[in-house]
Amino acid sequence: MTDCRVEVCPDPFDPWQQLALWSGDAAAAAIFMGRVRPSTMDGRPLEALELEHFPGLCERQITAMAQRLQQEHRTGPILVLHRVGKLAPGEPIVLVAVQADRRGAAQRCSAALLEQLKHQAPFWKREWCAGQGTWLEANTPL
Amino acid sequence: MDVVLKVLLFASLRERAGWAERSLPFTPGVSTAREVWNQLDLGPLEGISIAVNQELVGADQPLQAGDELAFLPPFTGG
Repeated sequence: MTDCRVEVCPDPFDPWQQLALWSGDAAAAAIFMGRVRPSTMDGRPLEALELEHFPGLCERQITAMAQRLQQEHRTGPILVLHRVGKLAPGEPIVLVAVQADRRGAAQRCSAALLEQLKHQAPFWKREWCAGQGTWLEANTPL
Repeated sequence: MDVVLKVLLFASLRERAGWAERSLPFTPGVSTAREVWNQLDLGPLEGISIAVNQELVGADQPLQAGDELAFLPPFTGG
């Protein structure tokens, strides 16, 4: 099995530093980085975004989906970092990176993995605004 | 020691119920996640995912004494 590194991070991470440590010599690499928006889903200024996960199950689910997609798209190493805890607007929340021999495989695998991560991994977001926390009931559209 | 089920709630479900973890007596007649959910009186099961011993399962999977049963609201990560 080619390398899949999956981490749920309680502390802030620097995506560029993590990529520098991870990157190999594959011909293609697709990278997606998500940051916390400055506004809530209904357009008010966001104070913080809180992320909760189900420890254990969450990491295993992500690893399983990454390994399935790695085989399906015949890619090389995959890196997934996902924050939990309370994040400020602008902070990196998710990093998905995929290496492959071809750009198509890298990009398709990266896009599919991000969508699965959003819909099939046990994470929950709560928006904080004016001292009030609101659990989100759905993800942002693609 | 009495045989129990460990029930976990997360995120909005936990806040709605006012508790995160509870040990329930394992009743032979109450043998699926759906039946335990109905006992908890937390609204409809629709849209809720279920994990037994850290594996996602269907609502009608039979439970065993000592299982850890988690009810998970819709996922919103990424």
